[in-house]
Amino acid sequence: MTYHRVFFSILFLLVAASARCAPNAQAILAASDAIRNPGKPFGLTVTLIEYRSGKQTDTNSLAIYSRAESGNGQFSSLMRFMTPTRDAGKLMLKNGNDLWFYDPNSKATIRLSPQQRLLGQAANGDVVTVNLAKDYKAEIGGEEDMVDGERQNHHCYKLELTAANPDVTYHSLEMWVDQTSNRPIKARFYTESKRLLKTVYYRRYQKALGVERPTETVIIDGLDPQWVTVMRYADHAWRDVPEAWLQRDYLPRFQPE
Amino acid sequence: MRPISRFMLPALYAAGLFLALPAARAADDADEAALSLADAAPELKQQSRPWRLAAEGALGRSRQRYGVNDFNIGRLSLDGYLDALLTPGFRLVLADRIDRYYQSGDNGDSTVNTLKEAYVSWHPEGIAIFDAGRINVRNGAAFGYNPTDFFRSGAIRSVVSIDPNSLRENRLGTVMLRGQVLLPGGSVTVIAAPKLAERPNDAAFSPDVGATNHRDRWMITASTRYSEAFNPQFLIFGGKGQPAQGGLNLSALLNQSTVGYVEWAGGSGSSLYDDAVGTGGNQKFRQRVATGLTYTTASKLSLTAEYEYNGAGMNRGQWARLGPAALDNYARYRLQVQDLQELPTRSSVFLFASWQDAMVPHLDLRAFIRYNTNDQSRLNWIEARYHLPHADVSVQMQHNAGNAFTEYGALPERQMLQGVVTYFF
Repeated sequence: MTYHRVFFSILFLLVAASARCAPNAQAILAASDAIRNPGKPFGLTVTLIEYRSGKQTDTNSLAIYSRAESGNGQFSSLMRFMTPTRDAGKLMLKNGNDLWFYDPNSKATIRLSPQQRLLGQAANGDVVTVNLAKDYKAEIGGEEDMVDGERQNHHCYKLELTAANPDVTYHSLEMWVDQTSNRPIKARFYTESKRLLKTVYYRRYQKALGVERPTETVIIDGLDPQWVTVMRYADHAWRDVPEAWLQRDYLPRFQPE
Repeated sequence: MRPISRFMLPALYAAGLFLALPAARAADDADEAALSLADAAPELKQQSRPWRLAAEGALGRSRQRYGVNDFNIGRLSLDGYLDALLTPGFRLVLADRIDRYYQSGDNGDSTVNTLKEAYVSWHPEGIAIFDAGRINVRNGAAFGYNPTDFFRSGAIRSVVSIDPNSLRENRLGTVMLRGQVLLPGGSVTVIAAPKLAERPNDAAFSPDVGATNHRDRWMITASTRYSEAFNPQFLIFGGKGQPAQGGLNLSALLNQSTVGYVEWAGGSGSSLYDDAVGTGGNQKFRQRVATGLTYTTASKLSLTAEYEYNGAGMNRGQWARLGPAALDNYARYRLQVQDLQELPTRSSVFLFASWQDAMVPHLDLRAFIRYNTNDQSRLNWIEARYHLPHADVSVQMQHNAGNAFTEYGALPERQMLQGVVTYFF
């Protein structure tokens, strides 16, 4: 009887310990989100440099203001085109799938569908901050050594993400997250039919708004690997982004600092 | 069937590995090549600036009807915009365009200046914003016809292209006082636009306040965001001598690639014909609607189909009889309709296609058809536009088709072809 009690106590402790040690995929994803995304309203500039077959074909830059919505925790963002000059002053507002485009020349504010891309290869959702943990269900797909965008080896969790919300841009993702730091290293984005849409490297980690964050992402097209977009983030700053700004009627008023 | 021998399993794994390795290596090589490109990407320092300036030159040929000689057209334009922060809370906005037209034959040369905007904006601490001056206020969810764009009447001084985008961009604002209150998830705007002149002024450099401010007008707009998908805008518009008109703009995301929209305006009023010829006519509730869908493919091709209805326009029979019966009234009616940017008849269909990076990066193709369902006339327009780093080069072709006295068949211009170069400073 005593032996049985001891045996079951040890078994219970082992199970409890293993449960405590088992990595929680959703928590890892949330931690990697926190590295990419500041926790308070912020602003930054993004420069997109696009290459086709090794030649630079396009450059855009935008000023972006973002804040997490109080309700669902997902980010809402205001984007203002800075270059090229033909597009300077144009604006986009993204509240989840609620996308609005404002042209200061025609004064027209029109709703866009997520399929309508304004920036070459990058989907509108790629440019702005997204909390993946809010939209995807994560599972641990294994542990792998992965080479990052700066050719350094990392021991990573491979997270397998499936859309929890049918409205998201990508149906599923594979994401490699550093086991010790929770830094996102690399991700692959897939369609519903499991076709590779793009591969993304998160790199050039630098201190920004108190945390080491990736200041560059490299996007490689799934069908044409010679189609590459480099997205650089700079000028990070805490900004006051009142909720009242994140609506269609504020677009003509928005003036980034 | 014989089960696979356990001795064969390692061989099969090895074969699978052998087949998978080249694909994995190719992906690694592609990633390495992409990362090397990124390593060498230039450091670009971007700064936003408060002004924009564009110069445009156009050359083309216009083919005419009614035995009128065809003629060459040329145009030089300068378009400037300034949005400057004067002091914290105060902004100055100026937008002006000057078009110099050169036409062969008897048409002669002309100059038209369009003072599009000139206003100051005051945003004190808090939720209210106030503006005073000439402001281009444009409402409307639709693309081809905007019944709720209540300040559009008389706003166009110079038509450089019949592209709907160009017509919206190159027009006069209205002199007004505007106040806006921004709340989380909603906004209310109140506008008062007083009468400042009796009639329009065609002088080249006139600010032409008579075109936009020849009677007292007002408008209240309110919008509320009920959800991501439902964000309607409500409008009430009125003026001296005009009963209040209501308006609604509603657009919705139908799926990841389709947006649907409805734009509606309605209120008591006389018909456009009675207004044009001054017969007074009976006042009754009339509605105007534009509704459509925009579908976008993965290859950046957007297709829009829009149905347009004008309850104050002529029906099929009235329209067919007007021209042959009363040419003066027909001409007067058409001028009035053009000035108001209205549909002359009850209904039209607008089909629009826009293809970004059409087969070639930086090449945009755009085309539209306006089809008058009451007289079967149509306007076809197509543009190919290539984007260079600081300039756009485009070719536009326009064709008006239809029988005599129809909306497009009656226009003197049968066809127009022009090349346009726009340089952005």
